[in-house]
Amino acid sequence: MSDTPLLELEDIGKFYGNIIALQGVTTEVQAGKVTCVLGDNGAGKSTFIKILAGVHQHDAGEFRLEGKPVTFDSPRQALDNGIAAVYQDLAMVPLMSVWRNFFLGAEPTKGVWPLQWIDKAKAKAIAKEEMAKMGIDIRDTEQAVGTLSGGERQSVAIARAVYFGAKVLILDEPTSALGVKQSGVVLRYIVEAAKRGLGVIFITHNPRHAYPVGDRFLILNRGESMGNFAKDEITIDELTQLMAGGAELEELQDELKRAISGDD
Amino acid sequence: MSDVTIDDSAAGAIASAQDEVADERLVYQGVFQRLFIRPEVGATLAAASIWIFFWAVSGPFGLTGGASTILDVSSTLGIMAVAVSMLMIGGEFDLSAGAATGALGIVTLLLVRDITGDMGGAGLSLWVALPLSFIVAMGLGWFNGTMVNRTSLPSFIVTLGSFFIIVGAKLGFAKLLVDQIQVGKLDDLAIAADDRGGDKGYAFFDRIFGAEWDRNSHIWEARDAFYTIAIVAGLVLLFVGLHELYFRRRKERGLVSLAGVLPGVAVLIAGILILHNTDDTGGNALGAAVIGAAMLVGSVGLCAMRYSRHPGIGSLGSSAPMLKALGAGVVAVALAVVAALSFDPAVDEDITFLVTEQGLRAILFVGLSMIGAVLLLVGQSRARSISRLTGSVVLALIGIGVAAMAFFIRAESASPKFRGQVFSIMLAVAAAIVVWSIATTLFEERRFIDARADRFGQSVAIAGILAMVVGVTIRMLWVTQVELDRGIPPAKFSVRIIWFFVFTAACTWVLARTKFGSWVFAVGGNKDAARQIGVPAARTKTQLFMLVSGAAWLVGVLLAFRLNTIQANTGDGEEFEYIIAAVVGGTMLTGGYGSTFGAAIGAVIMAMAIQGLPSSRWNSDWRFVFLGAILLLSVIANNYIRSKAEAIR
Repeated sequence: MSDTPLLELEDIGKFYGNIIALQGVTTEVQAGKVTCVLGDNGAGKSTFIKILAGVHQHDAGEFRLEGKPVTFDSPRQALDNGIAAVYQDLAMVPLMSVWRNFFLGAEPTKGVWPLQWIDKAKAKAIAKEEMAKMGIDIRDTEQAVGTLSGGERQSVAIARAVYFGAKVLILDEPTSALGVKQSGVVLRYIVEAAKRGLGVIFITHNPRHAYPVGDRFLILNRGESMGNFAKDEITIDELTQLMAGGAELEELQDELKRAISGDD
Repeated sequence: MSDVTIDDSAAGAIASAQDEVADERLVYQGVFQRLFIRPEVGATLAAASIWIFFWAVSGPFGLTGGASTILDVSSTLGIMAVAVSMLMIGGEFDLSAGAATGALGIVTLLLVRDITGDMGGAGLSLWVALPLSFIVAMGLGWFNGTMVNRTSLPSFIVTLGSFFIIVGAKLGFAKLLVDQIQVGKLDDLAIAADDRGGDKGYAFFDRIFGAEWDRNSHIWEARDAFYTIAIVAGLVLLFVGLHELYFRRRKERGLVSLAGVLPGVAVLIAGILILHNTDDTGGNALGAAVIGAAMLVGSVGLCAMRYSRHPGIGSLGSSAPMLKALGAGVVAVALAVVAALSFDPAVDEDITFLVTEQGLRAILFVGLSMIGAVLLLVGQSRARSISRLTGSVVLALIGIGVAAMAFFIRAESASPKFRGQVFSIMLAVAAAIVVWSIATTLFEERRFIDARADRFGQSVAIAGILAMVVGVTIRMLWVTQVELDRGIPPAKFSVRIIWFFVFTAACTWVLARTKFGSWVFAVGGNKDAARQIGVPAARTKTQLFMLVSGAAWLVGVLLAFRLNTIQANTGDGEEFEYIIAAVVGGTMLTGGYGSTFGAAIGAVIMAMAIQGLPSSRWNSDWRFVFLGAILLLSVIANNYIRSKAEAIR
């Protein structure tokens, strides 16, 4: 394997009419590493992943996949190139069973066209096995996804992306709706996925979730890059400060301090 | 089933040992709970109750002639309802589906109609015309689907547009081309065959789309023997399957232990022979009693050989909610009895604008009894939650009550239908209830998932149901000489019923087992998610619209071969009936959930309403009241079932 990163982004920009959604974003994703994208609400994180996943196309800068400049016209094309996005809404159908969701769009079949049917036994066995690799014991793969807990759903989505040969896994706020324990479980999957050689892009607004698992940090604010750091270039406190817009946060801290001491 | 026999017991033991510790967060659901959360089960139960209701209050409804009419009406309705339910599961509607049936029939007729006769018509052979009109159908579906996908407008609006276009075009073209508001006649092809030297495929296609089976010209003396064998075999299999699903298997027991049911089967055959050789009601009682004994012997024998005994049965107890439900149930049944007693069985006159005296009596009696039965069952389930013994005692008492009602009906009814059939069936049901209460007291319920036992039990039970269906089919399709001599009314079965069954089976298979089926659920359940993950959502939806218009083509052609002439307004407005049938069958209006089999049952329910009202001497104008009520009730019931289903799974 060469040193060429899986994904490289240079000065990426995106405009909606006269609105600048994203500007001057540069970062890279290495195989087996986790790149965290941090930003508050409205920072441009969604636009950023949509460009990577082929939902939108970038209007400026260069997007290189394994060294070659690319533009994806559709999510399908991004997927075919090994870039799988796990969205906040998880891209799952709640009323459908775990194994159907796992294989949705790529069901293993038996028989000859036009008489082809889903190889149900195989699909169920694989779904169960892949989930087990993620450390989740799904007892009944016929269970509807809507009845799983948030962390379990994330794990289904991640296991699915890994199974279908994703090289780059984009996780959109996987921990935002979860409790402390569940978040920990999901963070473990992220490390697990990176260990298996995937490049992971972990999008979050929580530096406490990002710092322990991340190897590289891209911070966005109001559509602009606030910096792109390797882990040894930044501490968690600096990360937090940058993310919330530095000065603003200090001001807030001072204000809070005054308010608290005033109470005494 | 060979995989079950191979070391069945050992594997079962390992599996069950694992299962009991597997997942503490999964509550085991008993066989009945799992059954009731299926979308089509509610519809099937409703269909059965409605059939019993009309059977009780109407003369011709329950006969084979009635059944053939119901199936005939439900077949065209059902083909459309099944296709529409798939579309609805995919999250869309097609309001043009009804008008399209007539339109595609008219297109076919215009293509074959002779130019030489009156005005208009292309004069093509059916061999060319049918594929051509099918292409038109596909084009229509493609148009609807593409419009919905491209515009992102609700399909309600888009297909409302195509509905009016079709309605207008039908009328316009019919007047323009043939100067009438009807287009015909298809059987001219056969009549004019000699002049032209060829019927343009009419004879061939008439066999495919228009053939009929005349029951009275098919005599089979051994029919009843086959019927009886099929029904008995079916009941025994269903019985064994139910036990397998319900009870906990003893670990060391293999397939041999199923032989425990055999003594019961022997007694059962004895009971049936008694029934066969006597015709009076005394014999019926004796036969029923012997059959009851057979069930007891079979059930206890099977359980003793195969399932584990229950360690403790608990003690009797009671609770206020249980007593309340049971009390209300008893009151309802008592009211039914009082209602029945307050009419004179000898009088049968029209008393009001709607019903005869005996009809009203039957309605009150059957209706109140059904309400009572439901309340009693609610009470029983509450009793069961107190203790096993309490549940069983209450259940046994209900069984004895059913038996008492059977004798009451025999004593009070004038009609041989109630004195004979209802009496025997109720006695058998009473016996089954008592036997079940005994078996569930003594033997242990399975409280964990055992995939092998589930699969085996399901296969056996389904085999049983199929055997019974075969039995009923045999009985419906053939007559015996005795029946003919008695002057049984004729019954005709149209080939369209086969189309209906085949189409339903094919769609059900596609929905459950194929990629396309999975994608249909996905685009209806969460379209954006489906698209993100790589399901061709737009293509799937377009294909669904094409499925509906293809079904409309089939129905249009079936209508053309039945009626020979199609009116310009044929099918207009029926699209709502398809939607109702689909919803009654458990399909969710918002998409992502439903059942094609349920939609087919929904169509049968609607056909029963359409046929049952006039044959109960009610004016058929009332059918819409009936349909509306069924729609509301079934939506409420299905919602309830689904919320249960989601809570459970």
